[in-house]
Amino acid sequence: MAAGCAPRSVTEQGRAIEGAYNLFLYVAAVVFALVSGLVVWSVVRYRRRGDELPEQTHGHNTLELLWTLIPTVIVLGLFWVTLQAQDEVQTPASRPALTVDATAFQWSWRFRYEDSGAEVAGGPGNIPELVVPVGQPVRVRLRSADVVHSFYVPQALFKRQAIPGVTNEFDLTFEKVGIYHGQCTQFCGLAHADMMFRVRVVSQGEFQSWMASATRSGAPGQPGT
Amino acid sequence: MASTTDLPLPALPEAQPEKPAGIVDWVTTVDHKKIGILYIVTSFAIFLVGGFLALLVRTELARPGLQTMGLNTYNQVFSMHGTLMIFLFAAQVSTGLANFLVPLQIGAADVAFPRANAMSYWLYLFGSLIVLSSFFVAGGPAAAGWTAYPPLSTSYLQGTGMDLWVIGLAVVGIAGILGAVNLVTTIFRLRVPGMTMFRMPLFTWGVLVNQLLILFAFPALTATLAMLLLDRKFGADFFEAAVGGSQVLYQHIFWFFGHPEVYIIILPIFGVISEVIPVFARKPLFGYRAMVFAFFAIAALSFGVWAHHMFTTGVVYLPYFSLMSLLIAVPTGVKVFNWIGTMWRGSIRFTPAMLMAMGFILVFVVGGITGVFLASPPIDFAVNDTYYVVAHFHYIMVGGLLFGMFAAFYFWFPKLTGRRLSERLGHWQFWTFLIGFNLTFFVQFLVGLDGMPRRIADYQITRWTSANEVSTVGSYLLGVSVLLFLWDFLMSVRRGRPAGDDPWEGNSLEWVTTSPPPHHNFHHIPPIHSERPAFDRRHGEELAGVSDPESKDRG
Repeated sequence: MAAGCAPRSVTEQGRAIEGAYNLFLYVAAVVFALVSGLVVWSVVRYRRRGDELPEQTHGHNTLELLWTLIPTVIVLGLFWVTLQAQDEVQTPASRPALTVDATAFQWSWRFRYEDSGAEVAGGPGNIPELVVPVGQPVRVRLRSADVVHSFYVPQALFKRQAIPGVTNEFDLTFEKVGIYHGQCTQFCGLAHADMMFRVRVVSQGEFQSWMASATRSGAPGQPGT
Repeated sequence: MASTTDLPLPALPEAQPEKPAGIVDWVTTVDHKKIGILYIVTSFAIFLVGGFLALLVRTELARPGLQTMGLNTYNQVFSMHGTLMIFLFAAQVSTGLANFLVPLQIGAADVAFPRANAMSYWLYLFGSLIVLSSFFVAGGPAAAGWTAYPPLSTSYLQGTGMDLWVIGLAVVGIAGILGAVNLVTTIFRLRVPGMTMFRMPLFTWGVLVNQLLILFAFPALTATLAMLLLDRKFGADFFEAAVGGSQVLYQHIFWFFGHPEVYIIILPIFGVISEVIPVFARKPLFGYRAMVFAFFAIAALSFGVWAHHMFTTGVVYLPYFSLMSLLIAVPTGVKVFNWIGTMWRGSIRFTPAMLMAMGFILVFVVGGITGVFLASPPIDFAVNDTYYVVAHFHYIMVGGLLFGMFAAFYFWFPKLTGRRLSERLGHWQFWTFLIGFNLTFFVQFLVGLDGMPRRIADYQITRWTSANEVSTVGSYLLGVSVLLFLWDFLMSVRRGRPAGDDPWEGNSLEWVTTSPPPHHNFHHIPPIHSERPAFDRRHGEELAGVSDPESKDRG
């Protein structure tokens, strides 16, 4: 990770966010360099050297118009970038490979696979693991059982609130096998800091056999591979 | 712009036959200057408590694991840190400055409603004491964050602390509305003849727009708090989804107040910077009218951006709130460029006030730019509710508000007290503050981008440790810096060098009266031909901005 750049996304949807973030960062760097350069220049060049009053200029219409219009054009450009990225993140997959009902509760997570009924639930001292196949769109249907929580996988560059009375749906397509950290980011009471989960992304074959054993054993806490 | 010549002259408060002294005087005063000082001292004391809580947070987070306090205590500490800073300090310290300065800057003898002004202050004090009293009740203070989202704050956190939080803040909110009515009326009605709207100092403009925002935004806060209390105490279920209420409704109303609150806090500070820079660059403010229009543009847009705090709820229309939030960067940018334009080809004196103002520009720009990132919903999906957001709003709040507040303190302390702060300690304080601030908060952008959630008492990902250590060390440096100021303040208020009426060669009317000003503010007001009457008086008519035959000398 280059200093200040977005983390490398491990999902297809997150790549659009990563791209948008890094583009914003370049624009931001230029703007900051310009402003701080002008301030530093003023400090060095316009330090008081005598008692003579400098020329009393009150403004400059062309200049002021320019530094209103140019930023407007820049933010409209950034808005366009935003709309593109947002489309890529929000457009649902036409055929998700599987749907997971994710329920957030104080202070852990329950993941139920809709087709098979397999369930993974966490609890105190037990971090639940959401197992998904690589390269397949996974639909997450997010609910809360009590207060507001937020489902966040940093390496997917994505989060969504779990709100009582609201069902939020989104797709994640993991492109890399691995284990990824997940955590609640909406303050939800006493043990908010401990409300973690993991996403384990496995190959299609591994996923099939995991699913078979998970379905057989009913509600496994931590099914083996 | 219409001349104000035909407006009635400000009414003088009735003379008091026997002038009470000491504490009785402070408790019974209706003098806007004393009330202003009461506001400033009270809010600064609350700032010290809130700052101490912040140091506790940083101490706990320096390393993984729980070292200094339990989970519940941590949650209470960060909740009260936010509550004290946002509600009881940030918006109030500017109200204090406004109370002291606005009547002086527009040539009035007092505010429009001096008794209501005193009532605002005492409501604010007692509301704050109600909130603070929650530290001493069974179960301790509220632990739902300063945002107090239900149902956590209604069904899940029982206990008196949360009730005191709601009730205390409601009282403070009402004090704010009352104060706003007063200051807005004062600015509209009590300007001295010649002081047209477009000759008002920018600080007064900032206060006007800030108080108008309070008038529109604080009622939403009061409503939110009333609904919270009804949900808690009487099962009103406004926000209870299971019986048809809506949690999202709370988020909408809260942020409809909450986002304008950011501008309520920062607009008077924009005004401060717009006063300090011209004086120490010895030039008029560059683009005065553009600065005023920018205030109004920011104020108008600020009511259309609230749901950018809710992008990750999945239930708001993203493009509208994104576009509005992005656009607010434009008038903010105009301000920054106008400040630089003011310094350009100036003759700059690096007093502590000016250093703080320049520091403000640099750190505030970082806060503003990262705000543009957060206005983009996809980017917000990644960084919302992480330390990235914590870093962003501390660049606005500490970077913006505190640099601006210290600039104001260095600039107007001589006017408030008749004495000067130490220039040497001021430089020390500036540099420790600038370095401590950036150490504390810059690394939080990186660790937030890497996924560290906000409001957690503990983290187990060890690669976040070094950033948190740096942040904690930086926060201690900030603490030292604030203590330096406090020391300087306590020493100078009694033993500082006498300041004289106009130590900086100021521009606005407060610099033509004595330091501190007399009870009725002015013995003599010079004719007002431009937005710099004090400057015009010093440099004579040949340099005066506008010649206005209608204005008369009131002396």
